[in-house]
Amino acid sequence: MNIDLSIFTNYAPQLFLGFWMTIKIVVGAIILSLPFGLVLALGRRSRLKLVRVLTTSFIEIFRNTPFIIQVFMFFYVLPFYGLHLPAAYVGIVALAAFGSAYFAEVIRGGINAVAKGQLESARATGMSDWKAMRFVILPQTLPIILPAMTNQTLSLVKESAVLSTITVSELTMAAIKVQGETFRPFEAFIMIALMYWALNETIATIMRRLERKVSSRSNSGRASGIARADPAVKDD
Amino acid sequence: MAVATETKNNFLEMTGIRKSFANMTALQDVSLSVPKGEVVCIIGPSGCGKSTLLRTANWLTPADAGEVRLDGELVGAMPDMRSTSVQARSLNAARARIGMVFQQFNVWPHMNVLENVVCPQMVVAKRGRDIAEKKALAALAQVGLEDKKKDWPENLSGGQKQRLAIARVLAMDPVLMLLDEPTSALDPELVSGVLAVLKQLAEKGMTMIIVTHELGFARSVADRVVFMEGGQIIEEGSPNVILRSPSTKRLQFFLEKLNITAFKPKSES
Repeated sequence: MNIDLSIFTNYAPQLFLGFWMTIKIVVGAIILSLPFGLVLALGRRSRLKLVRVLTTSFIEIFRNTPFIIQVFMFFYVLPFYGLHLPAAYVGIVALAAFGSAYFAEVIRGGINAVAKGQLESARATGMSDWKAMRFVILPQTLPIILPAMTNQTLSLVKESAVLSTITVSELTMAAIKVQGETFRPFEAFIMIALMYWALNETIATIMRRLERKVSSRSNSGRASGIARADPAVKDD
Repeated sequence: MAVATETKNNFLEMTGIRKSFANMTALQDVSLSVPKGEVVCIIGPSGCGKSTLLRTANWLTPADAGEVRLDGELVGAMPDMRSTSVQARSLNAARARIGMVFQQFNVWPHMNVLENVVCPQMVVAKRGRDIAEKKALAALAQVGLEDKKKDWPENLSGGQKQRLAIARVLAMDPVLMLLDEPTSALDPELVSGVLAVLKQLAEKGMTMIIVTHELGFARSVADRVVFMEGGQIIEEGSPNVILRSPSTKRLQFFLEKLNITAFKPKSES
């Protein structure tokens, strides 16, 4: 099979437009799903049973059903209830709902991983549950949850390809169009595969730096006592 | 003694406290009153309910029945007729006045020594940073950690961590301190530093309830020693009386056992 390099140059603007759309959608979804995931995680440990039931149901529904079904529900069902949103917005909302369910579970795991005595000692000073979370528990979960948060972010980037099924003109949609015009599927899809890869590799690199920064800050006591630790040595 | 003055004197009043866990009764109808300025040491075999009793005093472990009052005000009660938001608010307010020190220190590893002491003052007592830092430095000086203020908890010894935990409590100007086996997790050579700080506090008139295995310490600081077994208070009285000539067989047996094992290394987790 010959590779037609002209496709890369001729259709690059179109593909980069899709790439840009993918970035915007993913960034939008992450901005929405981080705080919402935190709310869900805290909701699961609420005193109020109603709050616990609602948040747990939300998480379980979005974790245990196919993303493409969720997207169809948002896109085809919402208009029946008079809610007409542009496809891109539906895509952001759907991706955010899906992402927040996973983020919530990661955050919850992080909270559970912090020793119980930490919460007790915070509450014993008179802090409310929220203040204890805000000042004592959540800062300690950050280095614990970052690697899993990275994984979830990478998977959100990949899942965003599903949004091509509801006419969002993101990267995969752009490739489908290029393929339709040129009948050269290999060139079109290899190109966007590389673009997804580059995007995720960039995100992973940034997150790895962040992980190092966070774990060295939370263990910066090492700087004064023990000689700067080998970054490969995992701190707990 | 008149009833009215008695309730006034009793600064902390725990009445009819019951608590069961999944398959065991930890406390069966325990009442304990502590007047202002008194140092009470609770002793007893492990599993006797002494830590649970201490933890119900600030409602960290909510009791199944009974009530706790501090200075006449309700800390926690079961049943409690107040709305949940009133309960939560008054409990947090009471806890801000009750300092608690844990066996496992529970200092906050993501904050340096100074911040550990500053944080609750700013977050709970709503003090400004200037005042909070001034108070923190005074508290750290009191426990002998003023030169460690920039250190991180993980670089402190166990004894220093525990003294930091005490400083964190002291900076909040507590009216009552609860100490749950404060020296049990320490290496033997670090125990004395912590005990010296506590003794100093006792001499300054701090009201304290201390769960401890250190009978010598109890004898030297306690105004009253409470012996618990099987979720009940078996015997209480001044340390010189009840530690020398216990009137119950059970306390006698407990003291004999401790005397035999007193100099063996402790291997409690």
